[in-house]
This record gives sequence, C-alpha cells and structure tokens, in this order.
Amino acid sequence: MLDDLLVRLGNRDRLALARVLTLVSRGEHLAAIRRAVAARPEGTPVVAITGNAGVGKSTLVGKLAEHLRTAGKSVAVLACDPQSPLTGGALLGDRVRMPSKPDDLGLFIRSVAAASGHQAVAEHVDLMIRVLAAFGFDVILLETVGAGQGDTAVRDLADVVVVLVQPESGDEMQWEKAGLFEVADVVVIHKADLPGAERMEAQVRELLSLPGCREIAVLRVSSAKGQGLDQLWNAIAHCPKRAGELEPAAQLLLRRAQQVLAERLHDRAGSVTPLVDRWKRRELDEAQAADELLHVLVD
Amino acid sequence: MATAMDRNLWARWQQEIEKAPAAEQPPTTISGVPIDPLYTPDNLDGFDYDTELGYPGQYPYTRGVHASMYRGRLWTMRQFAGFGTARQTNERFHFLVERGQTGLSTAFDLPTLMGLDSDDPRSLGEVGRLGVAVDTIDDMRQLFADIDIGKLSVSMTINAPAVVIMAFYLANAQDQGFDWKKLRGTIQNDTLKEFHAQNEIYFPPEPSVKLAIDVVEFCTRHVPQWNPVSISGYHIREAGSTAAQELAFTLADGFHYVDEGLARGLAVDEFAPRLSFFFNAHNDLFEEVAKYRAARLVWADRLRNHYGAKNENSWKLRFHAQTAGCSLQDKQPEVNLIRVAYQALAAVLGGCQSLHTNSMDETLALPSEHAVTLALRTQQVLAHETGVTNTADPIGGSYFVESLTRQMAGEARKYFERIDELGGMLPAIDRGFFRREIAEASFAYQREVDANHKLIVGVNAYQEAESKQLDILSIDQAVETEQVDSLNKIKRDRSAADLARTLDAARRAAEADENLLPTLVDAARARATVGEVMLALADVYGRCDTAVV
Amino acid sequence: MDQQPNVRIVLAKVGLDGHDRGVKVVSRALRDAGFHVIYPGLWQSPEAVVRTVADEDADWLGISLLSGTHMTLVPKILKLLADAGLTHVGVLVGGIIPETDIPKLLALGVSKVFGPGTPLPEIITYLRAEGSRTHA
Repeated sequence: MLDDLLVRLGNRDRLALARVLTLVSRGEHLAAIRRAVAARPEGTPVVAITGNAGVGKSTLVGKLAEHLRTAGKSVAVLACDPQSPLTGGALLGDRVRMPSKPDDLGLFIRSVAAASGHQAVAEHVDLMIRVLAAFGFDVILLETVGAGQGDTAVRDLADVVVVLVQPESGDEMQWEKAGLFEVADVVVIHKADLPGAERMEAQVRELLSLPGCREIAVLRVSSAKGQGLDQLWNAIAHCPKRAGELEPAAQLLLRRAQQVLAERLHDRAGSVTPLVDRWKRRELDEAQAADELLHVLVD
Repeated sequence: MATAMDRNLWARWQQEIEKAPAAEQPPTTISGVPIDPLYTPDNLDGFDYDTELGYPGQYPYTRGVHASMYRGRLWTMRQFAGFGTARQTNERFHFLVERGQTGLSTAFDLPTLMGLDSDDPRSLGEVGRLGVAVDTIDDMRQLFADIDIGKLSVSMTINAPAVVIMAFYLANAQDQGFDWKKLRGTIQNDTLKEFHAQNEIYFPPEPSVKLAIDVVEFCTRHVPQWNPVSISGYHIREAGSTAAQELAFTLADGFHYVDEGLARGLAVDEFAPRLSFFFNAHNDLFEEVAKYRAARLVWADRLRNHYGAKNENSWKLRFHAQTAGCSLQDKQPEVNLIRVAYQALAAVLGGCQSLHTNSMDETLALPSEHAVTLALRTQQVLAHETGVTNTADPIGGSYFVESLTRQMAGEARKYFERIDELGGMLPAIDRGFFRREIAEASFAYQREVDANHKLIVGVNAYQEAESKQLDILSIDQAVETEQVDSLNKIKRDRSAADLARTLDAARRAAEADENLLPTLVDAARARATVGEVMLALADVYGRCDTAVV
Repeated sequence: MDQQPNVRIVLAKVGLDGHDRGVKVVSRALRDAGFHVIYPGLWQSPEAVVRTVADEDADWLGISLLSGTHMTLVPKILKLLADAGLTHVGVLVGGIIPETDIPKLLALGVSKVFGPGTPLPEIITYLRAEGSRTHA
C-alpha cells in the first residue's frame, strides 16, 4: 500500500501528495518517505512568514501566493496553527484568508497543527517541505504559529524568514519584539495603510541600526490595499540563502541547544537587562555583547 | 431609595431563603447574568427618579420616547414579507395590508442581499428563495405596484448594496409621481453589524461605511422623513451574543455612524433624529426589558452630553424589535407560538416603536399564510386584550427591572472603553474583537444547553417522539426561471450606451469621494442591475472576499 | 497520550448564506474533542470545498447549509467528490433540512444529517464511533 502511494507520489498524483503529508505529520513511515524524495534536487526556496498573532500572516501569505501565481510560479503553502495541549485538537483556519481558486493546480494549501511549546512549526515540517519540493512546487511558503521570541526552528527550515509587525497604538516597542529580529531576514510593517506605519518603520530601523547588526530589509506592506508586495518579493528573492550545511543529527542537536539558550534568556531576563542596555548605548559591539551573553547563559 | 426597611423582616426572609430548595437550573439570565432571589430598595443605592428614570418622552427616556406611549398610539405591527418575484411579494403586501398591517417590511433574496444578480452563477438555486429578487428598477416598480408609498411606511432590510437599492427605490418613487419629501420608511443599511455578525459583505469595512453614510447624508437633505439606517443588534444576538453585547455593540455602531456623519460635515441634530435602531426580543423577559431601557438611557446620555446635540429628537432612541429567530425550534414547532408571544410581551414592555413577530414555522422555511396570520394576531391580542398598553412603562419602578437596567448600562459602558482601547471601531473589527466576543458567548450558551443547565422545551426537556408535520411553503423553482427571463429581456431592451455612461459616472463619483446617490439614481433609470453597479464600484473600492473568522 | 491519529474534518459553508454561528460552535466543540478542524470560511463554491477536502486529506466533510439550497448543492458536491476520487470521505450535512429531504440526502451518499439544535456531544459521539475512515 505504501509503495503504491509513493509511486503515485512520484507520478505527481495530488491525492497521493496529500496523503503522504498526512503520514509525515503523524510521524509514520518517515524513513521510506525520506528515501522516496531523496533523489530530488535541492534548491526550492522556502520562505517563512512569522510574527505575533493578529499581525496578518495568513493574509500576507495569501497575497504573496497570488503574486507568485501571477508571475507564473507554482506555490505550496504550509499554514501552521496551534494544537491544544490538552485535547490534541486544532482549529486550522488560515485558509480563510487565502485565495480560493479550485481550478488552479499551481496552488497548494495545507493546514498543519503544531504541538505547543516553544516551537512555532509542526513536527516533521522539514520533511513535508522536502516532499512538496520534490513534487515540483517552485516556492514553498511556511506560515508559522504566532511566534514568541527565540524561535530558532524557523531559521533552520527556511531560506528566508520574514517577520511581520504592525503599527502599534503604544509608543514603546517592546523589547521582546527585538528577539524576533534575530531570526529575520526581512521585516515587514504590515497593515501599512493604518496610522502609525511610518513611526513603526522608524522604530524598527532604529533598532536594527545598532552596530554590528547584519543587513535586514525593512518594508511597508498593505495587504488590504495590495501595496508593497512586489518590493517584498524582490527583497525575499535577493536574500542570501541559508544553506543547511550541517548533517541532520547535528542540526537537531544545535536546534535543541538553541532552544535551551532561548529558555534561559527568558528566565534570566532580569540579569541580562544591564548587558542589553550597554549594547543599546553602543558601549559594546554586537559580537562582544553576544559573547558576554553566552557567558551569562552558560554559567 | 430613601425607604426605611425593617431589618428583622429582612433577616427572617434571608433565613427562609437559605432553607428553601435550591433552584434546579443555575438562576441566571439566558445571557448568563446571575440573578438574586429578590430585589429590594437595597439594590438601588442612590437611585434618583428624575435623573435615572424621568418621564416618558423626556430625557433620559428610560421610560419611553413618547409621553403617552401606547395609550396614545400603538406600536407599528410590521411583519417581514418577501419571496419569489416582485409580483408575488406585491400580492403578499396587499394581503397583509388588508388584514390590518400598518407598515410594509421587505425581505430580499440572498443574491440581492449579497449584491448579485439573479443570473449570476452563484445565485443558482437561491433566487427568490428567502425573499424577493430585485435586479433592476422594474422589479422595484412591480414590488410596490398600486401601493401608496406616500402614505404607508416602508422598510427595506438590506445592507451591502443598500446604497443601490435606495437609489432604485427613490428613482421608482419619483417615476411614480411621489414626492421624496413625503416618503416614510427605513432602510437597514447597517454595514457594521455585517462585519460583526451577519456577513452580508461586499466591499471592505471602510468603503462600506462610506456608502452607508452616503445614504444618511442624501436622505438627511432630500428624504427627510426617511430613516436611513437601522442600527441593528438583532443579528448580533442571533449570532449568539449576550444581551449586554447586543446592547453595547449596537450602540457603539451607532456612535460610529454619528462620528462619520459629523466628519461628513453634517450637524448632529440634522441627522441623529432619524437614526433608528433594531433590537432582538429574546426569551428572558426582564433582561430584554432592561436592555431596551438601558439602550435609551445610554444613547440619550451620549447624544446630549458627549455630542452636544440640542434637538431632543437626537436624544431619543427609537427601535423596531423582532422576536428571536434563533429561539425558534423545529421540534414541536407550535410551541414557537408561545415563545413568540412572551418575546413580543418583552418588546412591548420595553417600549418598542414597531414589532415583527416570527411565525412558528420559520425555522423550516418561509412562513405560510396561516402562520403569518397567527403571528400578526399575537401582536393584536397583546395590544387589545392584555391591558399592558393602558399605561406608559408599566414595569418601571420594579426593583428588579431598575437594577438590571443599571447593570446593563454599566456593562455597555465597559465595552465602549474596550473598543476605545483597541483604537476605535474599525481597528477593533480588524482585530476580530466583536466576532471573538460573540463566538465565545455563543459557544458558552451551547455548552449550557448541552449540559441541561439551560432547558429548551421540546429539545432537552419535554421531548416528544413524533413531531407534527407542518404545512411548509415551498418555493417553486420556476421563480428563478421567470426572474432570469425577465432580466434577460431588460438587458436586451435597454440602451447599452446609457448603461455604460451612468456606470462610468458612478465610478468617477466614487473615485472623487462624492455622494453616490445621484449617479446611482441615474444608473437605476438606465436599467443598470444591482450586480452591475456593485461590480463597477468594486473597481474603486475593492472587494472583501473573506469573512474574517 | 491518546495514540489515535487526529481526525481531519473540513467544515464548509457553501453558497451565499452567511450564518456561521452553528459552524463556529461545532468547530470549537470538535477541536475541544481532539479533532483537526479545517474551516475555509464563508461563500465556498462546491469546487472550492472539494479542492480543500482533497489537498487537506480530510477524513470527513461537514456541509453547513441554512438557505434551503441543499438539494442543489449537496448532490453537486457529492458528484465532485466522486469525480476527484474522494468517495472514502464521509459527508455530513448540518443546518435547516426539512425532514422529508433527509432520506433523499442519505440515499445520495450523505452519512448523516444533523438538524439545528443537535447537541454537540451527539456529533462528537457519532464521529468517534465511525472511526477515522482512513485508507492506506
């Protein structure tokens, strides 16, 4: 049965694709599936869209997908929603905001439930991505659950990570948000048609202008008005790809260690603040600050 | 209240209460508000008759908007009607007027409500099913044929394409020789509640509100006796909200329309007097009465003290009520007659200006003539046989009612604060605030019902094995064919040039941010269809394709 | 931890009808009972519903209809499901369905019709009893 399924998958049978994704999400027959897609070439760009709840991830993913389709690229979307830790159930509603074009086979949308924890993506998403890439989609968009800080899993899965923020009514940008920027390659001020977009962009740029920060594109996008999508895709396309050069086991271990560090940072936020302030005041550069931070967290 | 009370008597009552058997179901209102075993002057600390109650017809209108209320003039008995073609609905209108109805209320079919034509592929199977199909001005003419719309008051329940339907109505009225200044009626035109609850949505929120205010502005200037918006809580309640949410969200919507009217350059007293409301009349009698009274109280306060309105008519909240559709059951449907009677009583004790009573078979299909007649008779018995109309606000002064009224007003004000914190109406909509609140309340209620904490006769109590088969009105599929044929003929006969010209003018007016009514009246006469106009406007405003969950 | 794989169910509102109170309440209840509920929103065309069921590899499809169009829309969806090779998917219908039409729907291949006011536990019990209906 499985062999038949994998053969059909190889023949670009869409129902087989849907079925295999289910098996992967349940952690079934992973080895066999991995083998089946191993022969395919790498190189399909994976773009993760992340950000806090309510910032408009689904809407933006939908707009991006439409944009890519118009440009003639086939798109697969993996939309993650949280799974209830108590019941295991999930309300997977991200499709609502995405285009509904049943005849367009160049668009594939799949909803995935992500177990709770510090992760913003579901288990085995890496293999789901491989399966979709092997199937032949030109671009894969990964929508994460509303991310908290220090979500490094996303960084390993995607070539480009787009972080969304939206104009706030408050004056201060929370320091927590800055944690999101550790994973960002592109920062999008979403809902840019709302008041405060300019101010938000200025605040973000200020934060990112701290010495030693790497180049991060900052853009304003309004899904409602359809503005900024061209520029967004350009920014994404021009990001240097992150090659995952480590072998899977080492990657897994690295991810776990990163998680531990992130948890500790969260717990020791109080003792870290003076260091952060010194960095903000430019008394240290980014590399020195990071080094000191490591000492704080490892000791 | 400065009433001296004997504490010994109270203590004895307290003791007896403690020994009394506990209530079978938790004693809360249907919205979940806990209710005390008794209400006394103690519940009304600092109560002042003049400021909290006053007199009917005077600020703050808690006791009603007219001095004599029903003693002077009964509420309008206005039953919804509409199905099939305009001709069939016109027949039903004549039928109802002959049986004593004093105002006409029009229900449109789903395609029309959604701004689609009868020949649109998405309209398949839906034409004329839940209301009348209106595609062009000719349908409008047929709908009101031989009806003196200068004398009767006409209500049209439509939202997303309200600006278009209003244009059709006005164009037709003028063509038939009626003076716009004489026209009385209401168009629902309340787009905000669509985004909260009913989902009759076409354009995104901002342009939708703009079009709603176009109707308000135009009618203020040219159709002064018309109520250009019926700010509705009915649908919010039908979607599962609590009574307090129904009250708060409706009033908040009202305030937003006032803000928008003012931003348009209208003086508050120019248009506020014509803002009307539409509330649900649900099962929990006293909660409903408190809701209506709190609505009047809170609206009057805001209009006078915050907006600075000087015209007393701006302070008066007038409302139409409809008995709760969501409370009707398909098990033992005749029991619905009884529910509707109690709900109607609540609306009347609450001081409504007009009332629609649902028919008992309404869960199953559009009502039969027999059921509609009984629904109307429910109101007539209430008006003429129960004596509740003999005095204004008969229930005022009840410790229970006044307590609940205060509580309800307080809850509403808390919601206003939360909406402000979110940045106002449109940001709150964008964040899904209203939808979430409603969905939570709806789910909580269903859990209560499933747990048998809230009993519904025939459903989770007093069930019967056999259900009596009611005669249900079924819609002939021929309706759709007839309507589409008629539409095709109109499209063949009209001038393509006139159509293009008027639609173009509408687009340009939209781009220039002008009031669209004048250009749409022209388009109506050029036999533009509802769908064509909406599509033309979508070129400027965009579409709202997804109802945000 | 329950070893049963989570059952995937698509809840669809088809046609122009915008009443979503029922479908939202059922979504919540199913999620709380451990199901993975995919809700693609209002105004879905029959084609869009079937596409969703296919791509999401759903075990069940629940169609919510309140406008009386069930005898047009449900047969259409069933046919599209069959054409797409999705006959293994269980189809449920919820909403306002006159009693006389229920046998007709069941004869067409609908597994069960739930009227308005069906207690939520009843829906959950039914789905659990039917199993996940997965195929290899």
